[in-house]
Amino acid sequence: MTQAGPLTLAPATPLASASGWLPRIGTLALLVGMGLLVLPPLLYLAAAAVKAGELGAVTIVSLVGLAFTTLSLATLATIWAMLLALPLAWLVIRTDLPFRTLCRWLAVIPLAIPSYIGAMSYIALLGPVGSVNTWLSALLGTPQQWVNIYGFWGGVFVLGLFTYPYIFLLVSAALEATNPAVEETARSLGDSPLGVFRRVTLPMLRPSMLAGGLLAFLYALSDFGSPSLLRVQVFTTAIYHQLNTRFDQAAAAMLSFVLVLITIAVLIGQHMLLRRRSYVTITGTARVARPLHLGRWRWPAALLAGMVLSLSVFIPLGVLLAQTGSLGHFLEVVREQGDYIKNSLLIAGLAATLAAILGLLIAFTARHTPPRTGALLSGTIQIGYAIPGTVLGLSLILLYNTYIPWLYGTVGVLVVAYLIRFLTQSVQGVDAALTGINPHLEEAARSLAASPWRVLRRVLAPLVRPTLFAVWALVFISAMKELDATLLLRPAGFDTLPVRVYIHTVEAEYARAAVMALLLIAFTALPWMVVTRLREKKLV
Amino acid sequence: MNFQLRLGVNFNFRMTVLAGVLLAGVAGLLPALPADAADRLVIYSGRKEKAIKPVVDAFTKQTGVLVDLKVGKTSGLANEIRMEKARPRGDLYISTESGIMEILSKEGLLEPYQSAATKAVPEDFRSATGTWTGISGRARITLYNANLVPEKAAPRSIFELTNPRWKGKLAIAGTRERTTLAWATALVALKGEAFTRDFLKGLHANDLKILTDNTEVWQGVGRGEFAIGLTNSPNYYLARQNNLPVGVVYPDQDAGGFGTPVNPNAVAVIKGAANPEAAHKFIDFLLSAEGQRILVTQDYEFPLIANVDSSEVPPLKSIQRTAVTAQQLADLEEATLKLLTSLNPNW
Repeated sequence: MTQAGPLTLAPATPLASASGWLPRIGTLALLVGMGLLVLPPLLYLAAAAVKAGELGAVTIVSLVGLAFTTLSLATLATIWAMLLALPLAWLVIRTDLPFRTLCRWLAVIPLAIPSYIGAMSYIALLGPVGSVNTWLSALLGTPQQWVNIYGFWGGVFVLGLFTYPYIFLLVSAALEATNPAVEETARSLGDSPLGVFRRVTLPMLRPSMLAGGLLAFLYALSDFGSPSLLRVQVFTTAIYHQLNTRFDQAAAAMLSFVLVLITIAVLIGQHMLLRRRSYVTITGTARVARPLHLGRWRWPAALLAGMVLSLSVFIPLGVLLAQTGSLGHFLEVVREQGDYIKNSLLIAGLAATLAAILGLLIAFTARHTPPRTGALLSGTIQIGYAIPGTVLGLSLILLYNTYIPWLYGTVGVLVVAYLIRFLTQSVQGVDAALTGINPHLEEAARSLAASPWRVLRRVLAPLVRPTLFAVWALVFISAMKELDATLLLRPAGFDTLPVRVYIHTVEAEYARAAVMALLLIAFTALPWMVVTRLREKKLV
Repeated sequence: MNFQLRLGVNFNFRMTVLAGVLLAGVAGLLPALPADAADRLVIYSGRKEKAIKPVVDAFTKQTGVLVDLKVGKTSGLANEIRMEKARPRGDLYISTESGIMEILSKEGLLEPYQSAATKAVPEDFRSATGTWTGISGRARITLYNANLVPEKAAPRSIFELTNPRWKGKLAIAGTRERTTLAWATALVALKGEAFTRDFLKGLHANDLKILTDNTEVWQGVGRGEFAIGLTNSPNYYLARQNNLPVGVVYPDQDAGGFGTPVNPNAVAVIKGAANPEAAHKFIDFLLSAEGQRILVTQDYEFPLIANVDSSEVPPLKSIQRTAVTAQQLADLEEATLKLLTSLNPNW
């Protein structure tokens, strides 16, 4: 410590209006940049929807029906995902659960499994002529259909299984960042573990639960793969039908636009929910909590965690492994198609890095501009997530091939598509983490005349660093498995892993598809493993 | 103060290392970027990679022309060609069905090409104006599960399927498989809308299950979920390859009967193609004896030119084809689709 001189107080700058021309220009540049990124495809959709005028083969009645099924599917899948994610996150971060580090790493793997691959493995298992029905019929000697994964409830089941990690990731990061002292105090005052969880932990987790739940909900809303395979009629499958059967881009745009409107309504709802109450940690220490001893509940808890991980990780991976055939075949396919791994890593890495940097800048800016500007900024970015991949791909072809032809036909346009679709994951995650940080910390730094850039770099960045790595991994994972837009936008000759899975599946070469799917899952999960290991060793 | 300073330096040092590692990673991956594609032939193929890649390789070996192949959905690639109209990126388009070619042709997106090779293809498998040419064919078939249906009991005509004894045992892919739409359109074209409506109503009364795609149909029939599936001829061989107990009927072959529709896979030059000469060479190669042999043996299709050995597949001329033109299919498509969706939204 240096000798303290006479204390001088710098005048506190109000947080809501960033002073100085540099932050102002920065904010403006961000707003314009994000606007140019996301708005043109939206305007294209709106224009095409207006041009469509009438709905063609789509009637108002069927539109209402579609909206009802889609919303019920997304809502129930999100609830199911919450039920899977919350206990697991709490057990892994706050208790002495056996294999907690392993569990924490495994719990994110389902995100690396594209929902269409998950759906396919469950159809092989729980379909009308799947393994389970075959076994049960053989075992009981009465051939009949015991389970059937097809339909609405199958869709809910599968979507929840492969989206709960969105909630798990953000909630566990938030659990780690919140000061455990509050919970410890409550516990020392005699509250039961469940009581502490309900009265203290849960309220502090609200922002990250809402952010994670929103990601899961929006994923379910815009997913095409699993509803289509499980025969659930939703917006995305109807859009596919218009585009591929009726060859009607106008009707597809109209349906997509309704889907976007629904998303906007959901986002406004979330915004209002978040505004009502907020919780911050008292101090900025990211001290590790002393794990709660589960005692005799240790193994039942492990069983619960094991069940969640079995349903979402081991079973689908087991089905894929069973499909690959021999090790020789596996290695042969790897040798033959190894190049595609590089393609996938390159663009997903680029997209994730850009998204993490932009996410931090945007979430920070959104907090330091007038509330409406901030809401506009993050809202615009969120909408990108709702545009179905195929429709986004088509609109980007038109826009970029016409106005930025040098970018179209390169991998650049893929990165643009991934940013439009997934930037919101980064913004939401960082924003949730910033919500958990007491504004007094920032105010203190600002009152010591630190520039906003310096506050971001020296005060906020270190505190949200766990979240930054988490959102990098999130966007990386999403970009790695993106299929619909990639199919359209990839330069000829530039295939990615999901494209290879798609091609082999369509051509009914399931052994090859399974190998490529396993490679996709492995290379998607790898960076997450590295980040987790580094964090364990306190390197990041 | 010192403590804080050290922390800050450490933080920056780590960030620098991380950034360095990331940059090195990106630099290492840059060779993965596709090379400048100025003089390469760009083919958009809705046709399976397994079927088209061997032809492409043989073509490159023979002519030295390098090819960038983009395999995707037939309709997805067609939508892409529409969107790229102002600045076309592809040279050739290969589709799995001819109706889509007629639509693109009407929109002025295809460049006519005719040669001795294209004229060797029967007239009902190529465009009258030369905008597209069939390269191989697939017939509509009735696929049955041999464990559930003895060969003698297999229905010889699709019109028998309204018989109550098939109730709950039938499957077909929805119209997102354009070959299903072409099949229904052929019915409307030759039998009339009223007849088609009654026939389809009869199928629905038998609980006809409408599935997502043809893969689900042959797998469902192969595994015994359905006794009968209405699908395309290569799927019979695919099911057999997967050791599934299936049999095949080419339906309605009696003299004067409806016959069965045969849909061509087709090729066309995209209007504004950067490499028209290479594109023409490729089309001629596809229709050469060597090209046809490679193409059809990969996926059990009918060769469209004479004197090509079709191995396991029966010769095209042994099948009585439904007499419907691509023009009729394109004209009646919208009406057929309205009819189908009015009967059941799952179509």
